Amino acid sequence: MREEHFDIVVVGGGHNGTTIAAYLAKCGLSVCILEERPECGGGQENTEPRPGFRIDPHATYLYGGAAPGFEQLDLAKYGFRMVYYQSMAGLVTTDGVAANLGGRWNREVAQKSVSYYTGQDAVGAEEVFLGSMGDDGLRDLLRSIFWTPPLPDSVEIEPKDAPMWQEFRKQLPGLWSERLVEMSFLDFLDEFVPWEPLRTFQAFAAWYCGAHPGWDGMLLPSLGGTLLVGYSSGSPRGGMHSYAHAIIRSAIANGARVITNASVGEILVKDGRAVGVKLDDKASYPEKTIWADKAVISAVDVKQTFLKLIGQTHLDASFVQKVRDVSLKGGSLYVLSVLCRELPKYHGREDAFPEEVYPSCVAAPVDSIDFFHTQTKDAYSKKKAPVLTKEHLTMMICQHDVYDRTRCPEGYHVLSPIYLEVPPPQYDVEGPEGINRHKDEITKAALDLLESLAPNMNSNNIVEVFLNTPYDSEFRNAGMSGGNWYGARQSEDQWFGSRPIKELGRYKTPIENLYLCNHTSHPGGLCLMAVPYNLMHVLIEDKIASPGNWWYPSPYYVADTKKGSQN
Amino acid sequence: MRQSYEATPDVNLLAQFPQESSFDVAVIGAGPNGLITAAYLAKAGLKTVVIERRQEIGGGLATEETLFPGFYTNPHAIYHLMVDYMPLFQDFDLGVHGLTFIKPNIQTAAVFKDGSSLVLCQQIEDSKDSIALFSDKDARRFGHLMRQWQKIVDDVLAPGTYVPPMSPIDMIEALNRGESGQEALRLTEMSPMEIIEENFENDKLRMALLYMSTMWGLNPRDSGLGFLVPLLVTRNLNKAQCYGGSHKLAGSLSRAIHQAGGIILDNAEVVKIDVENNQAKRVILDDGRVINASAIISSLPPPQTFGKLIDRDLVPSELVQTAENWEWDQWSFFTVSLALKEAPRYISEDPWVNDALMTILGFETYNELATHFDAVLSGKISDSDEVGGHATTETRYDPTLPRIPGHEVAFLQSHVPLSTKINYEEVGANLRDRLISKWSEYAPNITKDSIVASSHESPLDIETRIKTMVGGSIKHGDYNPLQMGVFRPHDSVIAGRSPIDGLYLCGASSYPGGLIIGGPGYIAANTVAEDFEIDKWWKTPKYIEKYKEAYLEA
Ligand SMILES: Cc1cc2nc3c(=O)[nH]c(=O)nc-3n(C[C@H](O)[C@H](O)[C@H](O)COP(=O)(O)OP(=O)(O)OC[C@H]3O[C@@H](n4cnc5c(N)ncnc54)[C@H](O)[C@@H]3O)c2cc1C
Ligand SMILES: Cc1cc2nc3c(=O)[nH]c(=O)nc-3n(C[C@H](O)[C@H](O)[C@H](O)COP(=O)(O)OP(=O)(O)OC[C@H]3O[C@@H](n4cnc5c(N)ncnc54)[C@H](O)[C@@H]3O)c2cc1C
Repeated sequence: MREEHFDIVVVGGGHNGTTIAAYLAKCGLSVCILEERPECGGGQENTEPRPGFRIDPHATYLYGGAAPGFEQLDLAKYGFRMVYYQSMAGLVTTDGVAANLGGRWNREVAQKSVSYYTGQDAVGAEEVFLGSMGDDGLRDLLRSIFWTPPLPDSVEIEPKDAPMWQEFRKQLPGLWSERLVEMSFLDFLDEFVPWEPLRTFQAFAAWYCGAHPGWDGMLLPSLGGTLLVGYSSGSPRGGMHSYAHAIIRSAIANGARVITNASVGEILVKDGRAVGVKLDDKASYPEKTIWADKAVISAVDVKQTFLKLIGQTHLDASFVQKVRDVSLKGGSLYVLSVLCRELPKYHGREDAFPEEVYPSCVAAPVDSIDFFHTQTKDAYSKKKAPVLTKEHLTMMICQHDVYDRTRCPEGYHVLSPIYLEVPPPQYDVEGPEGINRHKDEITKAALDLLESLAPNMNSNNIVEVFLNTPYDSEFRNAGMSGGNWYGARQSEDQWFGSRPIKELGRYKTPIENLYLCNHTSHPGGLCLMAVPYNLMHVLIEDKIASPGNWWYPSPYYVADTKKGSQN
Repeated sequence: MRQSYEATPDVNLLAQFPQESSFDVAVIGAGPNGLITAAYLAKAGLKTVVIERRQEIGGGLATEETLFPGFYTNPHAIYHLMVDYMPLFQDFDLGVHGLTFIKPNIQTAAVFKDGSSLVLCQQIEDSKDSIALFSDKDARRFGHLMRQWQKIVDDVLAPGTYVPPMSPIDMIEALNRGESGQEALRLTEMSPMEIIEENFENDKLRMALLYMSTMWGLNPRDSGLGFLVPLLVTRNLNKAQCYGGSHKLAGSLSRAIHQAGGIILDNAEVVKIDVENNQAKRVILDDGRVINASAIISSLPPPQTFGKLIDRDLVPSELVQTAENWEWDQWSFFTVSLALKEAPRYISEDPWVNDALMTILGFETYNELATHFDAVLSGKISDSDEVGGHATTETRYDPTLPRIPGHEVAFLQSHVPLSTKINYEEVGANLRDRLISKWSEYAPNITKDSIVASSHESPLDIETRIKTMVGGSIKHGDYNPLQMGVFRPHDSVIAGRSPIDGLYLCGASSYPGGLIIGGPGYIAANTVAEDFEIDKWWKTPKYIEKYKEAYLEA
């Protein structure tokens, strides 16, 4: 047995936990990451359930290309490699429209493909941005949205002066108007994207990686999600878990200790301060109590942190209720992985998707914005048996192997993931396992619909199908509440300084020395290294971390001047 | 190689691992051996990179969610036979990374349809209790023999695993210097069957011991490698399971490598080793990246290292021949994994059977087992009646594998011919069903209802996952006298040092061979350290020093 003391204990070795560990280790602190699963990475995961075939049960695209972390944590040195794609996206409708939307590195294909239907040059909302900003401009705009710590309570600003709008004005003065601040992304699409399938596609795309497009005041966070993925237009070589490898290796090389199969059962609190953690009995580590001399960082979701890991005796009842009420709606993904011999040949224009520019993600069917409304209504409802008509089943059908040959053997393709948004299991009136009782019908309906859109997706072509429902995802990754890609609805009420609730808005908690670093904090889901980057500002402020000159803060960072204040 | 259409050439957005880089040491393959070599050398201060084709490191040290979603298994190595001896565990404190092995007392069981069973344990007296139910004489003999064999293992066989091999003549001379060595030499000339028949009379015990001594690839009827029988049998009574999955050993080693400043590059297949003036210079990766290194250490078997990666004209002719004539393993494994609502319960009167780390089933007699191996050796899958193998309830000692509480994970593994001889895409599903039904004959609570998920892995799948295991060759090449000892892979490769300057070998196709024993990796690390003239920060374990004094330094 050893008495284990570290400066910092990080609970959860997912994307955000490993990244904050790497940051703090690089500051010279002794850091220990405790991860429940056999492997770190959390949502940044690839698995090989059939030899040679790698699937993406959760995260699939690199959204974090604009992150300072790549440079600050030197991920290139630790093996980070990208594959940039010729085409990121395409759209398909039930009545035979098939348009290739290209990506940042190949705009011509999109222009050609879309103008075939619209007779016009402009392609879509992103075009306005991707086309008119260079790497640096786009990077800075994205950083102002995502890589900026929430402002301290004491700072009051007009919404239009929020960092993201300040940067927007700077980068795109010609587009700026005060009206934008109040708008929703759907309002914006109505104005800028006249072609219905494209508008529908963009609403879906935004919903899958940003705020719901219908929410007023959330235009930029909503559009921002699609800009994040457009910025680098590709994925890490090998899949998202390779990106996790680079982060973990950076952490270890800087001295962090990583312990896997180490499930934390309790965060120890003494006199209102977090002092360490206790591991579950089945953890493989011989010492079950691990002390944190400077801080405990909870990199698991807010609900688990306060409803399970911290004894209620340390918390105020009204606070606990607020945590219970954090909304999980939307973002729960039903994930199919289909191994096949041929890529889908979508009906209509079969020549739209030649293999060398095959869209990495096909949204289908996206006939009209009604499909979008129908499906979002489903995902936000408490309904029982799923409705399985085509308007309810728009899918994001992803494949990477055309661009990244490490994903599967020659002669095969892997459609993984195929995402379908469904209600979170917690809100299922049949109970959380309800969705699993319907999985055969849902899978069948989804595959039938796929076959109707791409007739070659028949049983001769399909070799094997793997499925993880949001309920399965929660089991596989105890931090992923709701099997949800963001852990807490990304609405204005749960965004920036109010994410997940006001009391926790700047990563601090009612427990001294306990900080939050999970996607349930700002800026939410996706593997952006943004939660840890933002948290770093606060840890520096609290004199826990003092980085070397490799560190640079957000230009929009405002220090909390109430010295030593703990909420 | 498959075509891909990356848009890379002119995109330069994110900093990536450099197109060209230079290291002191580049290790090809992050299996147990590659990782061990790298861990020693990185900690010695050499700038080290390990290059791995797969996304996950570990090679045979794999723990993956093959029963997707929700259940991890160890699709390859699970029984860690040499944990008590591997110098690695003395030299590295891998416990700080959470590495722990479970070595249960009840090790190997054999179950029979009549409800009888053998339960062989670490504690010899416990084993004797079980054997005595069949034969008092065998029980007593077992006690004596295990003590004798354990001494041979401690004196010569285990230490020999971590010391470079010698020519057969020198070896004979050396071994003759002591009693244990002499007995090892005597056994060498016998076949596994002869050794077992010489000692035991009970048919069921004979069956179990034959299985234990040959399951890793010794031909039951061939002499020449009989000295391995004591090693394999005693180690089969001292296996350990890695808590959290076998991959945890790989993960812990990788952390030791990173801590020491080493780099691991995954998703990176070496497609070429450049040799100039008989000096290995650099490796080329499948994405065009170039890594220069003073020492290139390959864990790949000869047909790959010498037959594929290096220009043929630059390979010494004797190694071209080795590459061309290399004999792959004589058999492989076909594994069926199940996620179950409850652990398999065997039809045995002895409840301890269910606690065994490994359970042999499907063979009622010694003869049946021999017939099974004969069939496999002749390239056939045994007929329905003879199919059998060894089963393990993985969750018995490792509750971390299932993600969904209240479930168990178990596998049954059977010996089958390599995929060069059988079309597993065709027969795989049928064989899986036969194995499951055979298994449920011995464990009737395995039913359609109790099976939550199943998967199977054929020799073809093994190779698809791990390219070094050609045709499913789990040891990277057959164990026969011409490919063992100093001849593994060829006697021009000395202690891992190939005749090409700067090129070393460290994989299972090098002495002493396959399995998670760490011998090839340890020997290569020592050789490279000597060639770089660096101080070895590690000390030779005492039991190896003793062996050297008694047998090698006379
Ligand atoms: C289906 C799906 C698709 C997605 N697609 C993308 C995408 O394409 N691109 C993208 O960038 N992002 C995507 N995301 C989002 C991204 O995966 C998450 O936002 C991200 O992984 C969140 O990181 P995290 O560290 O906050 O949490 P997680 O990654 O969930 O990590 C939490 C970690 O904590 C561990 N843990 C939980 N409880 C304990 C405990 N008690 N003790 C110890 N350890 C514990 C878990 O095992 C896990 O490893 C997707 C998510 C989902 C679900
Ligand atoms: C089904 C099965 C069960 C087994 N059970 C056991 C057991 O219970 N106990 C036991 O001790 N042993 C067991 N083994 C055997 C054991 O796993 C192997 O003998 C051992 O892993 C060999 O180690 P190695 O490091 O030499 O090579 P490997 O483990 O084969 O590793 C070689 C590595 O090199 C990589 N590679 C291949 N080509 C390239 C390239 N061109 N460039 C870069 N990298 C490359 C591979 O991906 C792999 O990771 C089992 C094997 C199998 C298949």
